[in-house]
Amino acid sequence: MDSERGRHSRVWDWDSRQCRAQLDEIFFRQHDYIQAGSPEHREFWAFFDRFQRFKIKREMSGPAEERREDKKGKKKSVTKTVDLGLPEEYDARYRINVSVCTRDIEERLGKSDHRSRQRSSGPGPHEISEFRLTLLHFLDFSQRQSFGKLAKLRQEQKNLPIFQYRDRIVELVKQHPVIVVAGDTGCGKSTQVPQYLLSAGFKHIACTQPRRIACISLAKRVSFESLNQYGSKVGYQIRFETTRTTATKLLFLTEGLLLRQIQQDGSLSQYQVMIVDEVHERHLHCDFLLGVLRSLLADRSDLRLILMSATINIKLFSSYFNDAPVLQVPGRLFPIQVIYQPIPPEEQPSRSEKLDPRPYLRILQAIDQRYPPEERGDLLLFLSGVAEISTIQEACQIYATHTRRWIVLPLHSTLSLAQQDKVFDIAPPGVRKCIISTNIAETSVTIDGVRFVVDSGKVKEMSFDPKAKMQRLQEFWISRASSEQRKGRAGRTGPGLCYRLYAESDYDAFAPYPVPEIHRVALDSLILQMKSMGLGDPLTFAFIDPPPTASIQTAVTYLKQQGALDSCGELTSIGSLLAQLPVDVVIGKMLVLGSVFNLVEPVLTVAAALSVQSPFLRSSQHNPDCSTARQPLQSNQGDPFTLLNTFNAWVEVKGERGGGSRKWCRRRGLEEQRLYEMVNLRRQFKELLKSHSLLESQESAPSGGDREQRRKRFTEKKKLHQMKREHELQEGSKRKVLKMNEGQEGEFSSGSDMEEKGKRKKEKDGAGHDLDIQEVKFKLRHNVSELQEAVNASQDLSSRQQALLKLLLCRGLYPQLAVADEHNTTRKDSDQVFHTRNKQGVVIHPTSVFASDPEVLHVPEEDIRETGADGKESSKHQLLAFVTLLETNKPYLSNCVRAPALQALLLVANSVDTNADCTRMVVDGWLELELREPEEALRVLSTALKLRAEWERLLQVQLGQSSSGGEAVQGVSRKDVGKLSDSLVRFLLYTEIRYTLRRLTALKTQNLYVGPQPETDLSDTKALVLNPLFPGAETKPDPIKGGLRLTSSFTYNCLADSKNLYSECLRTFWTCPNCSLYMPLSPLERMHHEASCRPAGEQQQDDGESGEVKPGPASASRLSRVYHCDVCDEDLTLTSTEILKHKRQHMHSAK
Amino acid sequence: MEESTTENPPKTFTCRLCGFSTAFTYYGQKPPNTRAIVLLEECFVTRDPFSPDKEKFLVLGSTCSLCKTCVCVGSDCSLFYTKRFCMQCVGKHLDQFPHQIQAELAKKSPKAAAL
Repeated sequence: MDSERGRHSRVWDWDSRQCRAQLDEIFFRQHDYIQAGSPEHREFWAFFDRFQRFKIKREMSGPAEERREDKKGKKKSVTKTVDLGLPEEYDARYRINVSVCTRDIEERLGKSDHRSRQRSSGPGPHEISEFRLTLLHFLDFSQRQSFGKLAKLRQEQKNLPIFQYRDRIVELVKQHPVIVVAGDTGCGKSTQVPQYLLSAGFKHIACTQPRRIACISLAKRVSFESLNQYGSKVGYQIRFETTRTTATKLLFLTEGLLLRQIQQDGSLSQYQVMIVDEVHERHLHCDFLLGVLRSLLADRSDLRLILMSATINIKLFSSYFNDAPVLQVPGRLFPIQVIYQPIPPEEQPSRSEKLDPRPYLRILQAIDQRYPPEERGDLLLFLSGVAEISTIQEACQIYATHTRRWIVLPLHSTLSLAQQDKVFDIAPPGVRKCIISTNIAETSVTIDGVRFVVDSGKVKEMSFDPKAKMQRLQEFWISRASSEQRKGRAGRTGPGLCYRLYAESDYDAFAPYPVPEIHRVALDSLILQMKSMGLGDPLTFAFIDPPPTASIQTAVTYLKQQGALDSCGELTSIGSLLAQLPVDVVIGKMLVLGSVFNLVEPVLTVAAALSVQSPFLRSSQHNPDCSTARQPLQSNQGDPFTLLNTFNAWVEVKGERGGGSRKWCRRRGLEEQRLYEMVNLRRQFKELLKSHSLLESQESAPSGGDREQRRKRFTEKKKLHQMKREHELQEGSKRKVLKMNEGQEGEFSSGSDMEEKGKRKKEKDGAGHDLDIQEVKFKLRHNVSELQEAVNASQDLSSRQQALLKLLLCRGLYPQLAVADEHNTTRKDSDQVFHTRNKQGVVIHPTSVFASDPEVLHVPEEDIRETGADGKESSKHQLLAFVTLLETNKPYLSNCVRAPALQALLLVANSVDTNADCTRMVVDGWLELELREPEEALRVLSTALKLRAEWERLLQVQLGQSSSGGEAVQGVSRKDVGKLSDSLVRFLLYTEIRYTLRRLTALKTQNLYVGPQPETDLSDTKALVLNPLFPGAETKPDPIKGGLRLTSSFTYNCLADSKNLYSECLRTFWTCPNCSLYMPLSPLERMHHEASCRPAGEQQQDDGESGEVKPGPASASRLSRVYHCDVCDEDLTLTSTEILKHKRQHMHSAK
Repeated sequence: MEESTTENPPKTFTCRLCGFSTAFTYYGQKPPNTRAIVLLEECFVTRDPFSPDKEKFLVLGSTCSLCKTCVCVGSDCSLFYTKRFCMQCVGKHLDQFPHQIQAELAKKSPKAAAL
């Protein structure tokens, strides 16, 4: 009515943009409650349109009726005693408790109205009041909306089983240093307990989680529930991401990260309350963390510790903490019916066969028969591993295609994230999801809407064989606890059904709990961390459930081999550095070694790549398109090189095409997420190296130089932040509906579905949702052009750099070495066999480049000279260094790199033993190398010893520098490094010596060493000879092997070698190429001489160099030392050769 | 409605009828930073936790104009019709309310009416 009049009198169009802008100017100014351009402003206009439509509709559907009834109501009220003073006529406006005053502007407008109205048609009083009324309704509407949300939230919190224990929990925490809260799935402990403490006034609360993803989602949920969604009171911190600020009072973090924090700050003073969640899962870090916290509590009486657990083995935790009080909270699960359906014997899979799908198909059929498709509810099927999943998936898919009532989806960790994510999508009406999963869905991934669970009762679990130093993935029966956990997955959203494919008697025979991780894995990193935290002897540490002594001892031995611990078990300087790096010891070693040489960039990339899951998707391996596209990335030098190429190529694509990298990855069957992880990890490594002064922190920012560029970067970042926020706001709000053929694609045709996926992408683009959030985060975190520069440094490595990089990898990975079986050349490609020191007969994992191209590991035919029983004599023997040895159905080596055997062994092995003329060498007591020419053998050995000594020296200088806080400028000189890398490369590439390489037989190992010898004249003389290679380290007879220990890794003449028993004293005439000394020398004497004698030119140069730094007897001291001659009773400054000469003089004169 | 950095114990609003309870930051008719907006009753107000905008407010509840009971704005506990009325008072004086409201209440909860 009103609006009609308005329309008649003036040209006022509510829909016109101009008219709306005029209203914006009145009501939504810069400082108003709602500002033009804000999200609320947009919401308002949307509301406005709806409200207009609503009004029009109401006007049309009879206002007359309304008025009539009004009168009726009025009549009644007259009889009342208390007059509420309500207005006579109903108006919805009276129901709004808000009012908006805009009189000031209206008045102003009113004055100017006379003039302006002629020119343009501004809003009249009618429009203004109509508009204001709409605004009031909008405000009321949004108030109602928010309040409704809040009320619902509070109601849900109240309904949680844990809610009634709220005060009790707070009280217990106040009274006791440690409490245990035990509650089953759905009781709400993880989200509520931290909030209770927060609102009880506790401030510095940390809550650990075993999984990163849980940290993020819990922080999100709890900040929402504690009404701090947009603040930072509640935050999370994981490896590469944190939302923590100074205002953060409650922090979710991973167990590993908390341990790192304890490493930095032993008293953990930053926290007042520690909540350790999911302690029953018994992860390695968690068990260790409990031990550390237990000893920490002694010093921190103010610290409060809350353990949260499922109702599993609660007593263990309580008694570990001095019988801490336990609060048990019932869970909230719907009833679940259990059906035991053991697999009949004829369908039991025999050891080598595939799983028989019939028992599984019968259950699908039974569900279809018994439950109408309108009754929703999905199926979750637990199998032990990926192979089993694809067998059953295939069979179920056929059934599903036939019945059109199922969508079959696999779920395991080697799937791409996009594929994993599909399990959360919704099936169309009348169709059920059949999710076939590993035990990942037992705890890590929670899927709602599951009504049926099928439990195979099997799990593949990692175990560790300390003897073979090998991980093993084996199938086991699950525990009763796991079995219950699996069953529980059926009762999260309604009553459920659980089919157990085993008998009840089997169930009763299961172990009560799973084996804790600490009993199953290698403890290297753990022991290293313990050492660096100063926790004393790991064997006496009070673990909640101590790991086997053998495991600890293996780890200690391993760390000693790696040089991280010294012979007394104390941390070395490299060890303390390795303990800071959040990676495997071998990878950490690579990083440290790489920082010495000028190879930091490629080493950073390789180290990062080897620390994350492989980006190469298994499912794409058999896809010819993917293989072709991957081809240029492959390197037959080894898998780390393929990874390096892949990363470099990806960064290049990123630089050129930004988000186009996604497609690039898809075409090659690469999981881009892994590459994002690599780039983050790489950066973390770089920062760690910088903070330990192992890397110069070059001020790369061209200060002031490119203001324009920085400005651009700034605006770009701002835009990216905005995109990220928007993404976070809409995240999780939409779940897609699955298509019937989902699950078939990808697994079986990951390459050919390209077009299909492209189409989907376009559709999504249209909806404007297809923001590649990873790309946004990547751009926020990394400067692509900087990264490209870094990558350029590691692209197209020269063969020299490649050789050096290989050597670094080998030294890092040592002692993880393998040699080819001698008969590999006669075997099929797929039957190639290798041996490690502790495990014979291992094979190369099919994903490795050497699995498809094993010839590169063979000794080339033309190079072989048969030497009968001793094997092939060649200069081209190679060995493999590997990252993992994992036994599944076979023991597999993964991530291998090849290297020339003799050279690499002499440079990296911990123990090289020789016979008297050095023609026979035994490395680490398992590899035997035989060289024909004593002359050559001596030369190569002595070169290797020299190189090692220099390498060690530079490394120590570098490490010393890092420990002294980087003050020392005179650290490793570039020149020294350059010279060393040149020599190393020359040694690696151009040592042309023929030798045989074979593993020692058991018999030979038994009688390997001569053993300790009675002191003879000869050994006496030798003991007097100071070791010129390692000043300070004495040459001593080895107490076990016999012979002489020249360096910690080299023992001379300790091999029992019948033919040359006396050759150590056999002297032959020899001319030194450097100083033209000519005299008869024993091999040992010769080595001594060679170690100290430099070519004339080099020596001079050295003098010049060092002369500047430390004048005086620098050069003399390097070659000569003080020798006290008992005969002359005089201190003489002589070189070792001169000492020998001098002594011989006396011997002759004595005769 | 800046979050105070000094730790004042949060004041809590509790609805006497449904027990809904949450912290409030302001009581009155003119919450801070609301510009032209005025409340028509004295209200318990907090910052709207669901809005990224720090200055958005949320009315939690107020006192019943008749019995002075503290009630939340939830439609099960109170209604506003020029003044705030708790549902108990609405029930007592239902006949004085316009039929639109009566009809609405009757439709909404036959259960509540039975109580």
